[in-house]
Amino acid sequence: MSANPTAIEAHGVYKRFKTGRTHIEVLKRVDFDARHGEVTMVMGPSGSGKSTLVAALSGLLKPDEGQVRALDTDIWSLRSGKLDRFRLDHCGFIFQGFNLFSALTALQQVEIILKHQGHSKSVAREKAALALDEVGLGKRLHQRPAELSGGEKQRVAIARALAKDPRLVFADEPTSALDGENGQIVIRLLQRAAKQHGAAVICVTHDPRLEAYADRIIHLEDGQILEDRRAAEPAQSAADRRPEPALLGA
Amino acid sequence: MSLALATLIHEWRRYTAAVVALAFSGLLILAQVGMFVGIVKGVTATIDRSRADLMILPAKMESLINSGGGNLPGRLQPQIYMHPDVAEVASWDIEGGRWVNRPPEGQKAVTTYVNIYMVDTRPNAVTLPVDYSEQVRQALMEPYAVAIDETQLKRLGVKLGDSASLNGKTVRVRAVLTGYPNINNAAVVASRDTIRLLGFMADESKTGPLMVRLKDPARAEIVRDQLNANANGAYRAWTREELRKADEGALMGEQIIGIFIGFSVFLGFLIGVGITSQTLRGAILSSIKEFASLRALGVSMGALRLIVMELSIWVGLVGLVATGLLTFGIYLLAANGGLPMGFPTPWVIGVSILLIAISCASGLLALGILKKSQPADLLR
Repeated sequence: MSANPTAIEAHGVYKRFKTGRTHIEVLKRVDFDARHGEVTMVMGPSGSGKSTLVAALSGLLKPDEGQVRALDTDIWSLRSGKLDRFRLDHCGFIFQGFNLFSALTALQQVEIILKHQGHSKSVAREKAALALDEVGLGKRLHQRPAELSGGEKQRVAIARALAKDPRLVFADEPTSALDGENGQIVIRLLQRAAKQHGAAVICVTHDPRLEAYADRIIHLEDGQILEDRRAAEPAQSAADRRPEPALLGA
Repeated sequence: MSLALATLIHEWRRYTAAVVALAFSGLLILAQVGMFVGIVKGVTATIDRSRADLMILPAKMESLINSGGGNLPGRLQPQIYMHPDVAEVASWDIEGGRWVNRPPEGQKAVTTYVNIYMVDTRPNAVTLPVDYSEQVRQALMEPYAVAIDETQLKRLGVKLGDSASLNGKTVRVRAVLTGYPNINNAAVVASRDTIRLLGFMADESKTGPLMVRLKDPARAEIVRDQLNANANGAYRAWTREELRKADEGALMGEQIIGIFIGFSVFLGFLIGVGITSQTLRGAILSSIKEFASLRALGVSMGALRLIVMELSIWVGLVGLVATGLLTFGIYLLAANGGLPMGFPTPWVIGVSILLIAISCASGLLALGILKKSQPADLLR
């Protein structure tokens, strides 16, 4: 496991927010790293700074201090246009809300990103169909969000994030709007992105059930890392447990 | 299908307000233009439907609007006949006189100024409009007979068979016309002989403009150029179409009409931009999270702005179609009431450009709202 190359390395990440006259320190000089092929869970109570950490690592929110190297690029030294391009090429995001355009079919939701990446129409369509097939929605390509269940919507969002084969995948509470069964499907898909596609998956959650699928668990509290441990049970066995095809086809 | 177009189609209800605002902005202008051009059509209907291929006007006249026919020297008529392509030449005139009707006992009399349009009653005369029926032609042959468009009967206080006083002489309404409305001036039609009997055209040395019929109408432009080459500043020859356009242009160039339409353009722009930009802002705001997730996945702000601009142009195009439908509806309504309307191509193009400009300006105003698409806000 430890042979996996480092995907993200952050040093001294510091961020504070202004509320009224005082400042709240959300991240207190955090050091962090994540590796390719691993699911890294960031856990902690709400207000612990885990979402802010992910925002800083993924190029969405600039930290006040500190350095983030992702894929050997110092992302916060990039100009905003270059940073957009970096995210377009390398980052996948999965949010708590699904954020799908109500006017677009599942296929179009995924295609739109691939087209912006510069793929031709036909290639974008092909890759989008493949990604949706991989999340078990091969038969629902032409449904709009209104015709999909919550779990299916999240899977469309996952297909949208993974279709471009990102090296870095960020997920923020991806299962909190889903029931247990759909939550399991989602976390397995994230795990597959790490194991089969070699992505570094960084998943923020406070759902203890997901711990079983993590390779590494980082506990954050009050803007500081309290604990950083390898999963007690290797993630392998979690993978062994998957009776997937039946579930995915659902 | 693009995101913008798919959104417009799928959420059309959301955009209805903008489309309706655009449609009414366009209609506000086009209906006025249509009405003013309709006035010109009313004024020049007798020429438009005459058998003339060319019109000869005094050299410095730019149109028939507000200047009547003007005067040409009487010797010009034989001179035009000299051209080998000319089949027929006739002078044509618009005179004006005082009209007083003969109301039934106890009602007030209508006293008004009327234009008197001249026609020749000989079959196939160059000045006789092609759509006059044989009945109308024969009726006008009677001395002191006049014909009146159906839309003018009420205004002049007469009906078929009534008599009235025109320039102090008694005339009789012997025919009712359709398709010759004139909302500018009251108008009647009379034969050349009747007009002479009423005391007009006494001076033989002068005539009104000349109507010219050619042996081959296809040669109108060639003959016009040849006649103009020999004019020596005494006259100017126009093709019928050319004169119609000049009349239209002259009316639309009138200051008061310019003010009317200019104000409508201003108002239409203001209302259109106000409503359309608010609609677009609301629509964008409602999918701001979706836009933010695109931002997170690396789609640039510029690309999002393009999506918004594309959306506003689509809204503009739909508004344009709606304008077309509404204007057509108004046109049908007016035609039903016997009122002609005209929509010159330059104005239609101008209004189309205006509507697209309104929707683009609205799109630009709505762009600011995209700043709210902060992907970091999705991580909560």
